[in-house]
Amino acid sequence: MAVSNIYVGLEIGTSKVCIIVGEVRGDGAIKILGVGQHPSAGVRKGEIVDPETVQTCLHDALARAEERSDVEVNAVFLAVTGSHIQSMNNRGTIRVSDDQMEINGEDLEEVKKIARDVPVPAENGYIHSIIQHYYVDGQEKVLNPLGMLGQKLEADYHIINGVKTRIQNSIKCVREVPIEVEDIVFSPVAAAQVVLNREAKNEGALLIDVGGGTTDYICFVDGVVVASGCVPIGGDHITNDIALVLKIPLARAEKLKVNHGSASLKNTRNIEIAIEGESGKTVEQELLNQIMNARAIELLSLVAEPLQKQGLLAKLGKGIFLTGGSSLMTGIGDVAEEIFGIPVQKAGSTAMSGPSALFENPQYATPVGLIRYAQLLDDQRPKKSALSKLGKSFEKIFGGGR
Amino acid sequence: MIEYNHMEQGEIPADSELGVKVIGVGGAGANVLDRMALEGSDEAELLTLNTDVRALSTSVSSDKIQLGSTLLKGMGTGGDPSLGKQAALEAVDEIRAAVRETGIIFICVGLGGGTGSGAAPEVCRIAKEEGVFLVVFATMPFSFEGARRTEQAREALEAIGKYANAVIAFDNDRMGELIVPKDGVTQAFAAADKIISQSIRATMNVVFRPGIIRIGMDDLLSALDSKDSRCLFGYGLAKGDNRSHEAVEQALKCPLLDKGRLLNDASAVLVQVAGGDTMTLYEVQLVMEEVNKHVGDGTQILFGTGTDKRLGNSLSVTIISSITGPEGGQTTGSGADNDEEASVSLGGVLPVSSPFTAEEDEAVFEEEADGGSGDSFLSTPEESGESDQAIFLEDAPEEGDEASPTGDDDEGDNDDVSDAVVPAADASVDEDEEFPVLAGLEIDDEESEEDDRNPIARAVEAAGDDLLSSEPVFGSDDDGGVDRVEAVTDAEQKITLTRMVSDSNASPFKARLPEEIGSTSSDAESEVDDEALEGNLSEEGETSEEAKQQQEMLQLEPISGKGRFAKTDPTIVDGEDLDVPTFLRKK
Repeated sequence: MAVSNIYVGLEIGTSKVCIIVGEVRGDGAIKILGVGQHPSAGVRKGEIVDPETVQTCLHDALARAEERSDVEVNAVFLAVTGSHIQSMNNRGTIRVSDDQMEINGEDLEEVKKIARDVPVPAENGYIHSIIQHYYVDGQEKVLNPLGMLGQKLEADYHIINGVKTRIQNSIKCVREVPIEVEDIVFSPVAAAQVVLNREAKNEGALLIDVGGGTTDYICFVDGVVVASGCVPIGGDHITNDIALVLKIPLARAEKLKVNHGSASLKNTRNIEIAIEGESGKTVEQELLNQIMNARAIELLSLVAEPLQKQGLLAKLGKGIFLTGGSSLMTGIGDVAEEIFGIPVQKAGSTAMSGPSALFENPQYATPVGLIRYAQLLDDQRPKKSALSKLGKSFEKIFGGGR
Repeated sequence: MIEYNHMEQGEIPADSELGVKVIGVGGAGANVLDRMALEGSDEAELLTLNTDVRALSTSVSSDKIQLGSTLLKGMGTGGDPSLGKQAALEAVDEIRAAVRETGIIFICVGLGGGTGSGAAPEVCRIAKEEGVFLVVFATMPFSFEGARRTEQAREALEAIGKYANAVIAFDNDRMGELIVPKDGVTQAFAAADKIISQSIRATMNVVFRPGIIRIGMDDLLSALDSKDSRCLFGYGLAKGDNRSHEAVEQALKCPLLDKGRLLNDASAVLVQVAGGDTMTLYEVQLVMEEVNKHVGDGTQILFGTGTDKRLGNSLSVTIISSITGPEGGQTTGSGADNDEEASVSLGGVLPVSSPFTAEEDEAVFEEEADGGSGDSFLSTPEESGESDQAIFLEDAPEEGDEASPTGDDDEGDNDDVSDAVVPAADASVDEDEEFPVLAGLEIDDEESEEDDRNPIARAVEAAGDDLLSSEPVFGSDDDGGVDRVEAVTDAEQKITLTRMVSDSNASPFKARLPEEIGSTSSDAESEVDDEALEGNLSEEGETSEEAKQQQEMLQLEPISGKGRFAKTDPTIVDGEDLDVPTFLRKK
């Protein structure tokens, strides 16, 4: 494709609403054209609780993004998250009919349908069905069975689903602005597109996106998604904890956290920190760090627990990638290392054209990732369109890496 | 420096010994009064004046005066205004006694008939002679009542206009549009009465309700101040999730506003938003956005907001304005030719000075008049109105269709949702009420200043993620935004401020003032602002009772519970509520 395409990623986060306009050039390189962001309101724990307030923020962010990128935004890729989002792995099997030897597109669709047919609560809908591996007549890990000869086709899928109405509310909120929502993407799925490179995915990596209201994670082993999820705890909780324990307003708690706090108990100096604005009131560094440490440990343990159970932690050759705004918190890397027992690095997006402060900052991993996601989705469309009108199969993205 | 009384804004304090009186003159006036009594009116005395003793006896108002008891012997006037006038003159002493010692009088009258058209101008004259602030709500007859009555009504309106401080004229023809044609006559008239009674009540509330951003009589006058005009009036009251939207809708639906279309031509629009304790800043913002859609760019918006416990969960929106020009003439229907001749009387605002010169409270009212005509020292409220407008306009564009309520199906508990809306960090609802106070103060201080960009930075920095994220965020690019954000930043100090308010003690505020004024305002303005703020403080004193009640909660909330997550779905893992600080749970 010689034509360059413009995509827009929108993340309505707990702390900020962020719109990124990106251009994908003919050669596949991404250039960030503009960013609009606005402190968020009406979002709690990653979910919209007050659509009208959110729309106000959205308007602002949108106006800025349009102004800076000089692009009129009509449709966006929307990142969604929230504690209601669950994921699971499931395998589907079909028998390829006898008079037909080669596996064709219809078979792939059918096996996907079967694999997706997992018992999810009635109110849930699918967000992503990500292919992990195909098996043809017992042969393992076939990347692309199309055209292969075989009688039994099996497929492992990673299925991410969430409560339909909650997702629809997010979409509705954006559509009322009005902006069309081209597709919804589970936040860590988007972030992984730019934070993890193919090598990391193949060797095994865990991406933890510690945001304001939620902590989302996605785990890659052998180049495919094996686990993902959302813990509805984030930086907001830490601020809230400090405010509640020290009995100070949230704004001061936030300042304390950012300027003086550390999630790690290492290197704690025994000093008193004056709380700004509260004359004469001080807090011991140790107490502050203890509050933050307790929360950080609990938060990361909640992420670690299911992965530990599935035995995935041992397979993470590339270790852990921390991203998201709260990953900027001092000491959180140390805590993560303690809990997971594997190397941890803080990461933003991989390099692309545009203001480097943008993709290097872990705060923007998800929205930038949405651009990449959109690009990958579009790349496979021409190929897929003949096979499926649905155009919603994302096999290539995760199956083949980049 | 201009010396003036603190009542310069033409406010008549609700607690003043000079009460409020609503006088109904004639049959139509009595009907409106009955309607008011029916809906319950505790703050005003109701007085019915009528010639027809039978009609008078069925009236439910507390005071009644029979007009022309010897002249007409308890009969009506038979539609003759001259008889009505004589009847009123016969009872002049009684009327005078009734209006004396009253702060403000609302007169409602149906013009066109004998008693209304004849007696009302006399009552107005007497009231004016007693130095009472007078607002007249007059209904013009239906066009089918004939040209003669229309003519009588027009003459009477003109006469009333000479005496009244403000005249709000309702056109019965337009009232008729309120109801479906097949509805009974009773309903038609009842609807008309209801609108008028609502208007009176709303006007009273606008002026007397303790306001966070308060609207004074001067605001009312400047909203009504346009020559050759007619009054626009809209009032809406709604409760429930979508109350802000519904209330505006309802207000705009009022026949006088013609679905808000007429607002476009208005030069000044007064909007008051009032609600119970649960009213949020965001709702106010929504209301203003909606209103802004209907208001032209050049229109001055006089904005006020206040809380009134009696409103409970309801939210009320009052829109008062006046328009000039041919549009007014066209839409006046039966009174089409009135507008040329009786323009002044329809204009609502009249030169107030002459009737007052002999009175004791001259100073107050003269300044009021000044305020109405926008004299320099009273520019503060107007400008604050404008800066409000700026804020809300900033947010208004692109709103496409009305943002319909998605809150309903959002989370399980509606209350939760609406509370979660509430931006305040620690204590949700109560603190919110403080925001407007702060915002108002800030605006008073800074509205005229060139933008000082630093405050944004400061505010953003100070507020950090969480205050901003928990705010309905105003466009922080414009000046208005700066003010708001600053106010938000100050939210940290909300608790302290509330304490000051609750002590009814002005000094802590004063202590704050000099630095702000010194940094932002020129000397001349600072004096004015200082005074204006003192005015504000005295109003705050009125609300101190409420503030005291809130204070307890403000102190208690941060200590226990889950802080900002108190209103969200709990996150429970292994039987532990994760919203409670880990540090406290593990201890």
